[in-house]
Amino acid sequence: MLALQILVNGLLLGGLYVLIAQSLNLIFGVMGVVNLAHGAFIVVAGLFTYWFASSTGINPLAVLPFVFIVMALVGAGLQPLLIEPLMKMGRSKAELLSLMVTFGLDYVLVELALQVWGSSFVSVPYLQSSWKLAGLDFSQALVVTGMFAALVSALLYWWLNRTDSGKSLLAASQSETGAICCGIDVKRVRMLAFALGVALAAAAGVLVIIVEALAPQTADDLTLLAFVIIALGGLGSYVGVAVAALLLGVAQSITGYFVGGNAEYVLPYVLLILVMVALPGRFRRA
Amino acid sequence: MSEVDPRWGADAVPALVVENVTTRIGPLTILDGLSLELRAGEVVTVLGANGAGKTTLLRTIAGLYPPRQGHIRLFGESIEGRPAHEITRAGIGHVPSGRELFPRLSVADHLELGGRLSPPARRAELRARMLAMFPVLGRRLGQRAGTLSGGEQQMLAIARALMTDPRVLLLDEPSTGLAPKIVLSVFQTFPMLREQGVSILLAEQSLTLGLTAADRAYVVDQGRIVLSGAAAQLAEDHRVVDTYLGR
Repeated sequence: MLALQILVNGLLLGGLYVLIAQSLNLIFGVMGVVNLAHGAFIVVAGLFTYWFASSTGINPLAVLPFVFIVMALVGAGLQPLLIEPLMKMGRSKAELLSLMVTFGLDYVLVELALQVWGSSFVSVPYLQSSWKLAGLDFSQALVVTGMFAALVSALLYWWLNRTDSGKSLLAASQSETGAICCGIDVKRVRMLAFALGVALAAAAGVLVIIVEALAPQTADDLTLLAFVIIALGGLGSYVGVAVAALLLGVAQSITGYFVGGNAEYVLPYVLLILVMVALPGRFRRA
Repeated sequence: MSEVDPRWGADAVPALVVENVTTRIGPLTILDGLSLELRAGEVVTVLGANGAGKTTLLRTIAGLYPPRQGHIRLFGESIEGRPAHEITRAGIGHVPSGRELFPRLSVADHLELGGRLSPPARRAELRARMLAMFPVLGRRLGQRAGTLSGGEQQMLAIARALMTDPRVLLLDEPSTGLAPKIVLSVFQTFPMLREQGVSILLAEQSLTLGLTAADRAYVVDQGRIVLSGAAAQLAEDHRVVDTYLGR
């Protein structure tokens, strides 16, 4: 029963990780850009949700569509300004320079968040009890956020594989020249991918702050967490990343129980090092 | 132009005109004032050794490299300097070197993406035509492109380009990595394409292959046309071989 409980907790946490990682994966897959400002977008959206929900008393989940749309527009505005000019320099050069640009963006966003919200950890007090079912405890916050995350991920998956614009995005990520040969406007696809990636990161932020406390300085931890998951799951592979996210959730849940809370937070870093040593090829695009 | 195919009037608007085009990549001038013409319904081969500028020529026409100077006209309409995806939409189908397929998407996805700009009825028609022309693709519809054999991949790249419903098809060394028998089966589709009103510009390194398939040919060396004429004539011309050997 205990083992089952640990598994349930892990899978619920993993559900949230799917969303955290998939948004980074989307941007990387299409543009070869590792968006180091990923965690900053999550944190900014989370802290905004905290501020908005606590000052108006509105249900934090109701903020999600609004945050999603606003951050999509922010992404659509930033991409042509910061990322697109690098794309002309060729993929390998662009990958390196985009690391620097998004690192700078991360710095700016985190400092702005510190100025606006300060450095203390905050969380949205919402759904704090748990449901009991078949002798197992289901944290309400984790169940609801996990379901939201699963829903958003499923929508993303459906959009990528079943719609013309989604398939165009997959095509452009696998061969830019090939996509152009189909008459796809690759520049527009890149903007769309970045906008969607930022919006999904923001959606993740709204959900994360319901589950755990955030502060601006946690941005980089979230970026790294997402990076570990997409490295484990295979860069650019959507199914692989979803599986890796769920597994990491379970692995954290197990270490958290048997070793302790701190070990839980160290685990992604240990895994990253192990993966880099054992399977260096994993860091190539799938 | 030295030759005019009797089936097409000399005064008809050519399918494709490349006029005095110069393309630079970085500090290198790859195409140096190159001119050629493709008449409607023709198959024309661009011959040349490795590095002569064949791929750059095709990529310049397709809009992947903007020309530094010169003009490119598709049925009289100027297309140089336009974004590449718009040139595809204007009616230039491109089968690039290296094929540039989407390894993790299915054969059916490739056909769908190629035909995404056509109205549904036309798309269905083109798709049926592709499956008739390349029956093997019909048996692999659900398979990922990355798992196809080299010949199947080449056919898929051609089918994807033809799904865009082009008026001019650019074929960049379709023979690379393929057994001669498969290359011939690719070339055997040319008459069918011609009937459908598609004119073909073929870049080819192999003299024999390039000249068998074409009506006319141009020989490129160091980014310029050094020889041109009817394919049958050039096959007899020792200067073609001399150019290849750098004499």
